[in-house]
Amino acid sequence: MIMKLVNLIILLFVPFLMMGVIKKTKTFWAGKKGPSILQPLYDFIRLLKKDFVISRTTSAVFKIAPVVNFAAVLFAAMFVPLASGSALINVPLGLIIFAYTLSLGKFVSLISAMDTGSSFEGMGASREACFTTIVEPAFFITVASIMALTGNYTFDSLSSILSSAGSYGILITIFAVIILFIMILTEASRVPVDDPATHLELTMIHEVMILDNSGSDLALFSWANSIKMLLISSLIANMLIPSSLGEWMSILLYLVIMFAISIIIGTIESGMARIRMSHVFEFIFIMSSLALVVLSLIVAGMFGTGGT
Amino acid sequence: MSIFFIGIITLFLSGLISMPFNQKIKTAVLACITSVSAVLTLIPALKVLISGQDLMQVLNFNQIFGNVNFVIDPLSAFFIIVISVMSLASVIYSRGYLNPYIEQGKNINSHLVFLPMLIASMLLVVTCQNALMFLICWEIMSLSSFFLVIFENEKKEVLKAGIKYLVFMHFSVLFIIMAFAILSITSGSLDFSSFAFALQHNKHLANLVFILAFIGFGTKAGFVPFHNWLPDAHPAAPSHVSAIMSGVMIKTGIYGILRILSLIHTPSIFISYLVLVISVVSALYGVLYAITQHDLKRLLAYHSIENIGIIGIGIGVGMLGIAYSHPIVAVLGFAGGILHILNHSIFKELLFLSAGSVYIKTHTRNVEVLGGLIKSMPATALLFLIGSIAICGLPPFNGFISEFLVYFGMFKGLSIHNFFSMVTLLFSIAGLALVGTMAVLCFTKAFSIIFLGMPRSEAAEKVQNDTGKTMILPMSFLAILTLLIGLFPQYVFDYLLMPVHVVTGFTPAGTSEPVSLMQTISGYALAFVLFLGVVAVLKLLLTKNKIDIQETWGCGYNRGNNHMQYTASSYASPFLSMLRPLFKKVFDIEKPKHLFPQSAHFSLHIDDIEEAYLINPVIKGDEWFLSKFETIQSGNIQSYIKYGLIFLVLVIIGSLLIG
Repeated sequence: MIMKLVNLIILLFVPFLMMGVIKKTKTFWAGKKGPSILQPLYDFIRLLKKDFVISRTTSAVFKIAPVVNFAAVLFAAMFVPLASGSALINVPLGLIIFAYTLSLGKFVSLISAMDTGSSFEGMGASREACFTTIVEPAFFITVASIMALTGNYTFDSLSSILSSAGSYGILITIFAVIILFIMILTEASRVPVDDPATHLELTMIHEVMILDNSGSDLALFSWANSIKMLLISSLIANMLIPSSLGEWMSILLYLVIMFAISIIIGTIESGMARIRMSHVFEFIFIMSSLALVVLSLIVAGMFGTGGT
Repeated sequence: MSIFFIGIITLFLSGLISMPFNQKIKTAVLACITSVSAVLTLIPALKVLISGQDLMQVLNFNQIFGNVNFVIDPLSAFFIIVISVMSLASVIYSRGYLNPYIEQGKNINSHLVFLPMLIASMLLVVTCQNALMFLICWEIMSLSSFFLVIFENEKKEVLKAGIKYLVFMHFSVLFIIMAFAILSITSGSLDFSSFAFALQHNKHLANLVFILAFIGFGTKAGFVPFHNWLPDAHPAAPSHVSAIMSGVMIKTGIYGILRILSLIHTPSIFISYLVLVISVVSALYGVLYAITQHDLKRLLAYHSIENIGIIGIGIGVGMLGIAYSHPIVAVLGFAGGILHILNHSIFKELLFLSAGSVYIKTHTRNVEVLGGLIKSMPATALLFLIGSIAICGLPPFNGFISEFLVYFGMFKGLSIHNFFSMVTLLFSIAGLALVGTMAVLCFTKAFSIIFLGMPRSEAAEKVQNDTGKTMILPMSFLAILTLLIGLFPQYVFDYLLMPVHVVTGFTPAGTSEPVSLMQTISGYALAFVLFLGVVAVLKLLLTKNKIDIQETWGCGYNRGNNHMQYTASSYASPFLSMLRPLFKKVFDIEKPKHLFPQSAHFSLHIDDIEEAYLINPVIKGDEWFLSKFETIQSGNIQSYIKYGLIFLVLVIIGSLLIG
């Protein structure tokens, strides 16, 4: 029970800290002092108090979308293993429920962007929808092949791969972590896929979709987006944390991994610019090719010489 | 069982009964009679599903047919329910849809004869167990739907689409006849039950018959590469007819495949892979082309191909399960496929009907000129949105449940320790995931371009109010069904196991895992809805802020107009440019010339690659070949007498040689 409560607290508040750490890292590389890592939380609270400015073009969809998107992301989070091993709800094929619930959130956020009738937001929505079509199949192939190898159809199979599959396990883990990391960059709209700090609407993806949202709507969208980042990072953490560790130790390690990921993201953002839009696809396609590598490794592991 | 036939006969007669009535109430009379007959046909179907006992009636026709068996087993019962309920919704809707045509003075008598005839023939197709009678009912179904498609026969493109449909249907029936002919020669009987013996004892025969039947029935269902009639016939037909055709009629093709499978019992590994691969390709192909379409009904027609693909994936996984003797995989695959038949018929019909409402109000199917309709047609917009979310397979609607079952079957299938099955299944899983995300792209495009933003043309701007209650009502019924199945799948799943049992021949044992999983899924779906409510209420309570209504942010540019909005083509463009080689783009460009350009235009449409590179060359070759014989038809009587003479001489020589 306490573990579940700790998980819930991590789920709700660590995303703010991760955002804060990313900002802090970026300011560090830029040689500035930067705001405290709690700043995203303060921003969130301030946004809740703000009034709305809403476009007259919009309909009810625009008002409902932030709520549905947030609820979907948070609900999807129940099916992902967080700090203490298993997910809050650990069912076979939690993967499907997770991915499709997230998809529902994406669906409403896409139509909410289109609801404003703005070309910029349409552009962002169409890019976001397009990227998802590349990310999702690669994600499914990776996780499904790992599940095939372990014979376990819950997300727990991720944590057992490193210990159970020998030398193949190490390789699979390395590739899977890279795949998931690219997925974070894409789904949470970070450099080099998308630049959340850009000032030009034409080049934004996620930020431009919420261009017309304000007040608590905007707050909910940003919160949901950073929770999404935490969820995919949790999958990485679960592949790396050995299951033999004690509960509190694994929570500690989990937090370390979360902040390490944030620091890596921040460093990448300081070190490179966003890729040209037409090349972003190619970048995300790395994920698909790596997913095929994982697939072939697993097939080799299962049917190759030895055939274990 | 006799109640069932009374229902069928009322349906056949209902068109004639409604004929003498006044134009205004004709459709109402038809709707009343159809609802009565729907009840009459539903009673035996429900009885079969509840008791689990087959109903059978032997009708003795003349010497040609002999005894014809009509059987309602759980599989037929399932299809009867789909056909009766879904057709009824369409017929009720047709009242509102046909009114503008009646006001224009169009004669709808023949339409009202063929509409119930189509329903009745579909009901006979799924119950008839005699090959010859089956083909006759099949043909009545194809022909009556042909006449329904060419409702607006004064338009040339409608006629063209209708004839294409007719040709495809006869291509399909050719293969079905071949399959049945082989079976009746080997078994010496026309009855389905006697086919089973031959099919189960000769593997090669079973493979051959299944492939022939799959081509035949698959053409009706719309599997790639036999799908080409769908995107033309659906836009041509009136919306309620497209709804019946896409929601119900193409499923009779699936019924045919399932029926043949039930006779084969243990399909070979080869045909199982064949079905799975073709289905994955169909699903991807359908959704890919749906994204390219700007014609709303063509878009929905391509989505039918996608969903037939998903149904096929379920069936293919089920077949693999039987072939590798993994009962649980078989049960899950078939259950997912069969549930998706029901689900697709519900949400596809909902989408076609709401597309019809949009068409009736705006007189256009081109989504590029629509926009902002959510303000003038809020009910239709909501219904279309529900349909869109359901068709994308997102929770908490019904599409999610069937896709989940199919996924579950595939994941369970991963435990078959076989190289090919594992790789195929992993790619199918990724394929289904890709189909899901592409469907999201397609339906966010369709919904937002039609209903959101500002009107893009006068046609969309002029719409004052929503359609009448007779059109909203059947659609709301369908929308509620999608939600109910999404929230309480366990009750549907119980009744699903019986049709699955007919196909697989296993006793539905070892299904406790999916049953309990369905219960948990239902729990999560309810929890999600509750959770959504809680978040919404919390947000309302916690943030009591002022709302300031302003223009959409245009980066400082305040002179934006409705034509500057994002369009469907631009929305789909990043995705389509990624997959350029898979399309044949046809540009129509007139560039602006001179200093003061008089006119310029640009249009782009995307041709079906299969039509461009496979069907059109075949037609061209055909025309070329047949044109060689044009000289024979010279038109002068002497040469025709000459042909007669040559023929007679040949016959005499031939008979001399044989004799």
